[in-house]
Amino acid sequence: MVAMLMLQLRRVVLALGFVALVVPVGAQAQLRHIVTKNISASSSGTMLHLEFDDEGTLDISFDDGTVYVDGDAVGTYEPGDELDAAWQTILGEAIALENGALAELLVDWTVPASIADELADAAHALDRALEDALNDIDIRVRSDDGSVSISINDETSLVQLLLGSVNRLGILEDALEGLSSDFRIHVDEDVVIPAGSVFDGTLVVIEGELRVEGRVEGDVVVVGGSFDLGDDGSISGEARVADVRVVRNNGEIAGGLVDVLEDERNVEADIRDRLREEIRDEVRSDLRRELRGVARSHDVTRIDGSEFSIISPFVPVIRGVGGVFEKLILVFILGLIGAGFLAFAGENMEAIAETARHSPGRSAMVGFAGSFLLIPVWLLGTVALVVSIIGIPVAIAWLPLFPLAAILAGVLGYVAVAQNTGEWLADSSFPWTGWIRKTNPIFTLFGGLLGLTFAFIAANVISIAPFLGILSGLLLVIGSIVTFLAIQIGFGAVILTRAGRRREYHGVYDPDAAWEAAMSVEVDDEEEVGGNHEDGNDA
Amino acid sequence: MRRALAIAAVTVAIAPALVAGQSWRTVNTSRQLETNDEVRVFVEYAAGQFNIRSVDEGLLYRMNLRYDEDRFEPVSEFSGDRLLLGVESMRRSMNIKGRQSGSLELELARGVPIDLDLEFGAVQADIDLGGLALTDLDLSTGASESLIDISEPNTARMATASFEVGAAEFTIQNLGNLNADRIELDAGVGSITLGLGGRWQQDTHLDIEMGLGSLELRVPEGLGVQLRKDSFLTALDSEGLIKRGDVYESLDFDDADYRVIIELDAAFGSVSVVWIEDER
Repeated sequence: MVAMLMLQLRRVVLALGFVALVVPVGAQAQLRHIVTKNISASSSGTMLHLEFDDEGTLDISFDDGTVYVDGDAVGTYEPGDELDAAWQTILGEAIALENGALAELLVDWTVPASIADELADAAHALDRALEDALNDIDIRVRSDDGSVSISINDETSLVQLLLGSVNRLGILEDALEGLSSDFRIHVDEDVVIPAGSVFDGTLVVIEGELRVEGRVEGDVVVVGGSFDLGDDGSISGEARVADVRVVRNNGEIAGGLVDVLEDERNVEADIRDRLREEIRDEVRSDLRRELRGVARSHDVTRIDGSEFSIISPFVPVIRGVGGVFEKLILVFILGLIGAGFLAFAGENMEAIAETARHSPGRSAMVGFAGSFLLIPVWLLGTVALVVSIIGIPVAIAWLPLFPLAAILAGVLGYVAVAQNTGEWLADSSFPWTGWIRKTNPIFTLFGGLLGLTFAFIAANVISIAPFLGILSGLLLVIGSIVTFLAIQIGFGAVILTRAGRRREYHGVYDPDAAWEAAMSVEVDDEEEVGGNHEDGNDA
Repeated sequence: MRRALAIAAVTVAIAPALVAGQSWRTVNTSRQLETNDEVRVFVEYAAGQFNIRSVDEGLLYRMNLRYDEDRFEPVSEFSGDRLLLGVESMRRSMNIKGRQSGSLELELARGVPIDLDLEFGAVQADIDLGGLALTDLDLSTGASESLIDISEPNTARMATASFEVGAAEFTIQNLGNLNADRIELDAGVGSITLGLGGRWQQDTHLDIEMGLGSLELRVPEGLGVQLRKDSFLTALDSEGLIKRGDVYESLDFDDADYRVIIELDAAFGSVSVVWIEDER
């Protein structure tokens, strides 16, 4: 507790800064001992956290456009602007340094000349915070110099002031910036410059009332309290006020009245405006989200028929048409994949299709068995590979590639079955399958895919009409069974043919059998051979 | 020059996070060394690159961390004699999809007695404990690829060093430099390599429990080794060891300056002994 009190006192004294100007001071400056340093950076900002040996801390963060010192916003910045860049540079240097060198680097940091306007305010606040936190100064007051004096109402008021108002004293430092060192300071007491009298120098009143009825040859600084300039009062320099009630009357201020807090108020107003805007946006988006939620829940009740809505009659149409489009897109994608297989692995696909065509039952059984064994094989393979040193890197490839290969095999098998279906449809007498040309594998592929998904498409179309929900559901079940069987048969055929590399049914072309099948007549080999022989003899 | 390099390194480290607009945060944290009292150090790290080295610059530790701030939060707490470092997950479940790895580079003070507790998950670890004064060591890892080296002798003596390994490719080099009376290894699944090199300063018991995997013992010539095996289905390649009763021993076991007695309890897998040149 004592340490914290001393820390606060130290920081306040440093925040005063002016003490070094107004008091003949024997100031012995040294840097505080940094025990812990923490620097972090991300896309949203940067953060510097220091811990000192006296348990004090300093936190400076650039977070989402706002500069914070020990949690208090001291200004704003834009990511990448001069202040942000300067701060990132110093943090980059600070990472490599510790304790004394780090403290020196930070305390020596000054506001770059290129920084101006509001950024400069934030930069000065940073500079001040670093100096306040890192300087460790022992102040001793000498009383033998008569040029400057401090007037204190009672011996405890300065300490109370220092401990009670860190921000105000920080402001005082700003107010005194650039003024001459010939000060007279009054803390916590009222001051009157009577009519007809002249005060030479800079008059500073802290937490008191200043009434000027005479003339001040210099500047006036009032922090806290009030400032009353009489009709005949005059100030040759500036009158700087901060957090003061001003009664000006007709008195003259040659250098003008300067409100030290104006800039700070502007920064605060900016921050307040930004916060207000952010809150407003957030409330708006929440409200919008809620309204959408309410609208959605109303949609549900409309579909259920519990509430009337103008779009409710169109909902089934939208859903049905959407479903049809969805299936057509799926057919298109699978068609493209199948076309790819045809182009690059046409023979393999042909072998798979042939096996599925000639032996659908066997293929389906193998497909079922293969599907059941997929996961055990995958797991056992992983364990077997992990056991050996060489196998570990292979296992890393095995883990994702095996499921991928299984999916690829399923798709390949399905499109092969689709091609068979397309050929069957081309041979059929259905009136709407005339466009499927058996000589073109792309046509048969797309025709087959449409055939396999026909039940789903029909279900979507029927769902548009009212009172046909049962039929629609029945078609969905049929579609699911057809798809399941097609995948199993196709997957089985892929396994049987080792992805089309081994033909299960590649029987030797028998021209006689083909002729017989085409002409439905029997061909006598012997006769034909004899005939030829006779012809030869004739010749 | 060194400073420039550090700045360049930091700029490179910070820039991607700032430019790419991701949720990556880099943290550099360090603490001055104040006393030489023993410190209990706990390091916890979930996934990514994980490096540990020793440092001799008046620091208790220095940590460079790169992590996803949406998923983790950094830990660097020091109170009393207890130092907590690493990252903690903010979510109970981890989404592996699209995950990029972070990194943790930790430097610990040389010469300060340290009771070290390391716990890391799916990481690629490169740990050099050489030069540290370890009074106790507990290392626990999940599915990692870990290389642990004790490149210099431990300046403190420890009673027990224990390693708990899940499913990993786990390699330890220079176990002799650990200066431990007992070393315990509990491995689940994976490939384990134990290098018995380094400077042995006393006879040591090495207890190994393995589930499934391969174990390679790299033994320097001149070190006395006795292997007691209690296994189920484990193949042993005991080149250079002779069987005396129920145990396997190196030829010079009785005359060796220092002896390592290995108690092996393995279920499935293989154990091989490889002799290496004594690098002492």
